Amino acid sequence: MQRFLKFVKAYKEYFTFVVLVIASLYLISIGDVTRLGGFRTVVIGSIGWLQEMFAWLPDTGALQTENKALRDLNLQLSNEVIKMRTAIIENQKLREMVNLQSEMGFDAITAEVVGKTIIETRNYYTISKGYKDGIYEGMAVRSDAGLVGVISGSTKNYSLVELINNKNVKIAALLQRSRYDGILVWEGGEYFQLKNIPKSWDVRKGDTIVTSNYSNKYPKNIPLGIVVSKRELPGDIYARINVRPFANFLTLEQVFVLKYIPDPERLKLINQIDYKLQLRKRASSY
Amino acid sequence: MLITYETSRKKSEIRKYSVYFLIVVITGLFQVVLVKFFSVGGITPDLLLILCIWFSLSEGQLKGLFFAFVVGTYFDIISFDVIGTNTLAKITAALIAGWFFGENKINRNLGTYRFIIIVFIASFFHNIIYYFIHIEFSQISFIPFFFKYGVAISTYTSIVTLIPMLLKFQRNKIIIS
Repeated sequence: MQRFLKFVKAYKEYFTFVVLVIASLYLISIGDVTRLGGFRTVVIGSIGWLQEMFAWLPDTGALQTENKALRDLNLQLSNEVIKMRTAIIENQKLREMVNLQSEMGFDAITAEVVGKTIIETRNYYTISKGYKDGIYEGMAVRSDAGLVGVISGSTKNYSLVELINNKNVKIAALLQRSRYDGILVWEGGEYFQLKNIPKSWDVRKGDTIVTSNYSNKYPKNIPLGIVVSKRELPGDIYARINVRPFANFLTLEQVFVLKYIPDPERLKLINQIDYKLQLRKRASSY
Repeated sequence: MLITYETSRKKSEIRKYSVYFLIVVITGLFQVVLVKFFSVGGITPDLLLILCIWFSLSEGQLKGLFFAFVVGTYFDIISFDVIGTNTLAKITAALIAGWFFGENKINRNLGTYRFIIIVFIASFFHNIIYYFIHIEFSQISFIPFFFKYGVAISTYTSIVTLIPMLLKFQRNKIIIS
């Protein structure tokens, strides 16, 4: 026993250290000491009062930290604002599309425009749906505003839309107000031209043009554009009518593919007559 | 005569510990309220640690341990920290500082560059223990932790140690002269 006490006395500092470490660990393990609660409240109040006394002193470290935090928050909030604005616009567009789909009278498949291509000076869109979604060659494509084009080919997941702003495209069109028929073509530039409209026909600026029943390629009554000008050139029996298309080809992001395939019998008849006329033309040229 | 000597010795001890008590209270409040204005890159010196090491070097390792225990607990209370964390760290620092104690080395330990080195070493281990309890290692890897909390804070605390060291040095010079 005496030897033990001697030993403890010799290493009293280390024994004291171990005891104090155990006491510290015990204090840590019991966490927030509620018995000190009242005393701590007094301490908090006193420290708070002292800190308030010196609050006028500029704390550059804290200001720097606060500035950085505010800058990060600002960046985060501005990103969220942009996302929300985009979402609002998208929401509006989608609502319009949903309303439109119910008015169209045709089943339609929505698709996103994923690419724009020019093949041999012809303009095409690539859309994100293909034959696995029920899209086939010959189907008309429109936007919520108006006619866009026709499916010229499709693979499993993608389809190619030949746009109406191509020089080989001719659309049978109808003036909605006066019910006159014409042919809508694109000769380059901002506007389309409505052909075969005599000068004497009632056509005014602001008249709406839609697809005609005579078209075999496109369903009838799809909005095409609006008359922006009518010019009567001397020596010409037809008026020169410029039409602004409803579809904005520069900003299009979503389209509808109409589940409308032209009547094959009608197509066959047209092709037969076309072939006969071509043969006759060749024969007469010899 | 002996009784008078004993009484006056006790009185001077009481006065000494009263002064220490006052210094601890004031330094603790200063540490909590004002030291943040002296921060450099988010790092502040630990004045109470310097005080604990000073006490260990002037009064011995055993007394230093008790002093560090009291000071650490006091600081945990006034800084709203988990009670026991500063206590544990400071008694470790007091133990390390106490290894350098010697009855005839007090002036040399406190009034020369030795004090700065002892503070650096003790502070290094103090900070490693303290921040080891507080930091989650998912937030920071070991090497940045080591340099920021081990080396940087210890360096800053050691630099501040110059003030008491020079004061002691001046006092030693006056006494010698």
